[in-house]
Amino acid sequence: MATFLSVDPRSGVPIYLQLIEQVKRSVALGVLAAGEQLPTVKHLALELTINPNTVARAYRDLEREGVIETAPGRGSFVRGNGTADSARVAVHDVARNALDAAVREAKSIGLDRKATNLLFIAALDRWLPEQS
Amino acid sequence: MSSITISHLRKTYGKHVAVDDLCLSIPEGSVFGLLGPNGSGKSTTFKCLLGLLRSDAGDIRIDGVPLAPAAFESLAYVPEKSVLYDWMTVNDHIEATRRSFTSFDRGRCLSLLLQFGVDPSKRVRALSKGMKTATQAALAFARKPRLLILDEPTSGLDPVNQRIVLNLIVEASANGSTVIFSSHQIGQVERAAERIAILKLGSIVLEGEVDDLKSARKIVEGVVEESFALNGLANDARIAHVERDSRIIRLHCNSDADAVADELGSRGAVGIRVLDLGLEDIFFTAVSEGK
Repeated sequence: MATFLSVDPRSGVPIYLQLIEQVKRSVALGVLAAGEQLPTVKHLALELTINPNTVARAYRDLEREGVIETAPGRGSFVRGNGTADSARVAVHDVARNALDAAVREAKSIGLDRKATNLLFIAALDRWLPEQS
Repeated sequence: MSSITISHLRKTYGKHVAVDDLCLSIPEGSVFGLLGPNGSGKSTTFKCLLGLLRSDAGDIRIDGVPLAPAAFESLAYVPEKSVLYDWMTVNDHIEATRRSFTSFDRGRCLSLLLQFGVDPSKRVRALSKGMKTATQAALAFARKPRLLILDEPTSGLDPVNQRIVLNLIVEASANGSTVIFSSHQIGQVERAAERIAILKLGSIVLEGEVDDLKSARKIVEGVVEESFALNGLANDARIAHVERDSRIIRLHCNSDADAVADELGSRGAVGIRVLDLGLEDIFFTAVSEGK
């Protein structure tokens, strides 16, 4: 059940952040549907061989951000009420992080606002052309 | 239970100071990883914690009280060197452990030995180093102890058996037990432990939650003019040290890497990147620099 999640413990990106990112991505892509149950902390920790308190930390943050909800004794679920909400939060987070990284990289190699904007518009035209 | 508090521990062997003013606090249910080069004081710390060595100074408490004989019922220690008897079989050790500890689960021990590929009818003398390590782990985990103290619990094990031991640590923690273990394999500590301390020459040079250390410690890299002057950056509290190779500058940050990156940018650097550091990088930096 947890096979859609994987982490790279050797990465410099904290494991709990990797988990948060992946759960959000899965919700955004519909791999995790509204109301669907997430693996228990223990199950996921054993599946990935990572520290259970690290998994619990990721779940706590996801709950605070409204992506999942935890019913005591029953487990954690993708937030059902206002399904669209948690999915939208997740979609926006994933997309914003990707855009952030791209703009930051453009800036770091010396592009100014105008040049970056031109590239951004070109990317929009390529991937999200205006319907005529 | 069980939490551990070590305060100002000091242990000397003659003139040699093995552990110096060591303070650690390990919360209940957590997995704590102790890292450090050979001779940095890891095993000595464990032995003092267990009362196997008399410390010169300091205070050690388990669940708020000094170590008492009763604590050993729910505590398991796996030493780095095998303490199994060469002339006894693994089955003999299982029987001896069963008689000593009421919580010992023989069935679980046998199933762990099967997973490790250890034949319990063999004499210890006939086991490889890795098989001895695995046997000690099976005997310890089959007691379902509330506190596990593991000195190099994966040494000599093949990768499959290493993973079994790591999962036993993870499972014990998920069930509420406290685990403290040492390892030279940083990748294992990175997986199983939420908190670490790095020892060097008997002192802690770095301690913290693995994920928090990774969040805080980054390298900010940028390209600057030859004439670029560090000015305030050289003694900025956020920056541990500066590496410079003509036009490439690398600032090793202990915190606020993003703000440091912005500042470097505002001073005219280009090609700025914030690089993440794995625990191995963090370890090498801590051990090579000291405090």
